[in-house]
Amino acid sequence: MKKVAVVGVGNTPFKARHIDKTFPRLAYESVKMAVEDAGAERSDIDSVVYAIYNDFFEHCMMPDHHIHYQLGFARKPAVRITTGGATGGYAIRAAFAEVASGLHDVVMVVGVEKVADLANVFEMIKSITFAADPFFEAHLGASPAGSYGGAIIWHMENYGTTQEDMARVVVKNKGNAKNNPDAQSPMDVTVEDVMKSPTVIYPLKILDHCLNSEGAATVILASEEAAGRFKREPVWITGIGASLESGRQAERDDAGKSLFPAVKASVDTAYEMAGVTDPPSAIQVAEVYDSFSGVEICLYEEFGLCGWGEGAKFLSDGRASMGGTNPVNPSGGLIGGEHAIGATGVYQVAEVVRQIRGEAGARQVPGVNRGLAQSMGGARGAYSVSIVVEG
Amino acid sequence: MEENDPRFKPIKEQDGFALVPDRWKIDYFASAGELSRFFIELKENAKLMGTKCPKCGSVYFWPRSWCHDCWVDCEWVEMSGKGKVVVWSQVEISLNDLQTAQVPFVQGSVLLEGARYPVVVFYRDVAYEDMYRGMPVRVEFLPPEERTGRSRDFYFVPDV
Repeated sequence: MKKVAVVGVGNTPFKARHIDKTFPRLAYESVKMAVEDAGAERSDIDSVVYAIYNDFFEHCMMPDHHIHYQLGFARKPAVRITTGGATGGYAIRAAFAEVASGLHDVVMVVGVEKVADLANVFEMIKSITFAADPFFEAHLGASPAGSYGGAIIWHMENYGTTQEDMARVVVKNKGNAKNNPDAQSPMDVTVEDVMKSPTVIYPLKILDHCLNSEGAATVILASEEAAGRFKREPVWITGIGASLESGRQAERDDAGKSLFPAVKASVDTAYEMAGVTDPPSAIQVAEVYDSFSGVEICLYEEFGLCGWGEGAKFLSDGRASMGGTNPVNPSGGLIGGEHAIGATGVYQVAEVVRQIRGEAGARQVPGVNRGLAQSMGGARGAYSVSIVVEG
Repeated sequence: MEENDPRFKPIKEQDGFALVPDRWKIDYFASAGELSRFFIELKENAKLMGTKCPKCGSVYFWPRSWCHDCWVDCEWVEMSGKGKVVVWSQVEISLNDLQTAQVPFVQGSVLLEGARYPVVVFYRDVAYEDMYRGMPVRVEFLPPEERTGRSRDFYFVPDV
């Protein structure tokens, strides 16, 4: 396998609605930024991977083929990845494989998503719910909140994690978003504010949910030889792991203590590839998939940042906060920063790259050489991708 | 042509932008193929059908026509309808027209006797606060005239 570098990054601001921009326009703006960041020319790009999650959101099937030509890439190869919330991560993996195998030297990953063109949030939830098992579970009208809820309830019962513990994730991530000029929901919120917000499906309240966002993020990957053409110091993807479980939320073979076996499998693969043996000392920053507040607490454990059942304490001790030992989601994550679904996994890598380059502005974690980006999707995180980035 | 078809309604103008109404309306008669017996037995006979692998003995409910470990075809078996609660939660917000129960309702997963994996179901006749992991439950069915041959035809109640 060849070494794979990130040589350019770019993203639009993330908002509840970019009423002034269509999805091709958002994609284009993020692409221009990444190409400029790399000091590249459009002709440097050999191949494109699009990360666009949901045809219902874009109001168009196969939306990539309505972007590619307009970017000026006619006849260059392109593939579109859709794997739920892990779309961006899997798109990076697809691009990584093209470069690592020697198939192409420079591959661009473009993640974009709309969401507010759907008539209302109920139609949006429906568009996600159509991913349910079509034979047996679709008729139950089960929701994404329900699918993650089972794991969270298990964590509460087995380890005594409370709703207040989970609310601290919201306080942290919305607070971190204040340092991110592109974030959708920078805000001072208290544990009490979270506790008072209405319950959607126990124990998840409105404020425990991630954002619904519009925006785009692009990263440019290059082989070691090709990376020399560009103006930035390359940052390397040293580990990349992926996994897919069942699309039925209750159908999981025994995974020991892991509540998200696809996450654990993907992170184990990424760590092995990157030579990470002691995550608490190795992972200096992480951008992870806080689809719901309680999920982030579980994720600290899946990543090996703390022991099983210690997630709430890892957070309340301040270790996941800015200034802590392993800051998680300095960008604000999905609860404070953004969740333009197809773009998220791409944006996470862009943010870790910025941390390593020392360009993260007010959200900079000092002295970062290695970070983790992780995304998940489908019923209860059936898909997951974990990416270790170093530089 | 349908009355109220959004495609024939004028665009809305908001802050100088055009919001174009549309609706994707798609009807199905989706064949359940090799899974059909589940649906037919449920509707006609109020039975829960699973499948069993003749090689490893795994019992699958929801049924599957082949065993994913052994790669051999499974045989149909009738489930007892009894099981134990795995997780449960109360859905409090009415989300959309895909929801097929009135809020608040209790949804969660149950592991049926003999089955390999739990499945997501509705619970009824029990207060959410009174449920616990491992609680014995049994299936009940809607009356024949209300059954439509899908998983919402049944729900689970405490098995006392």
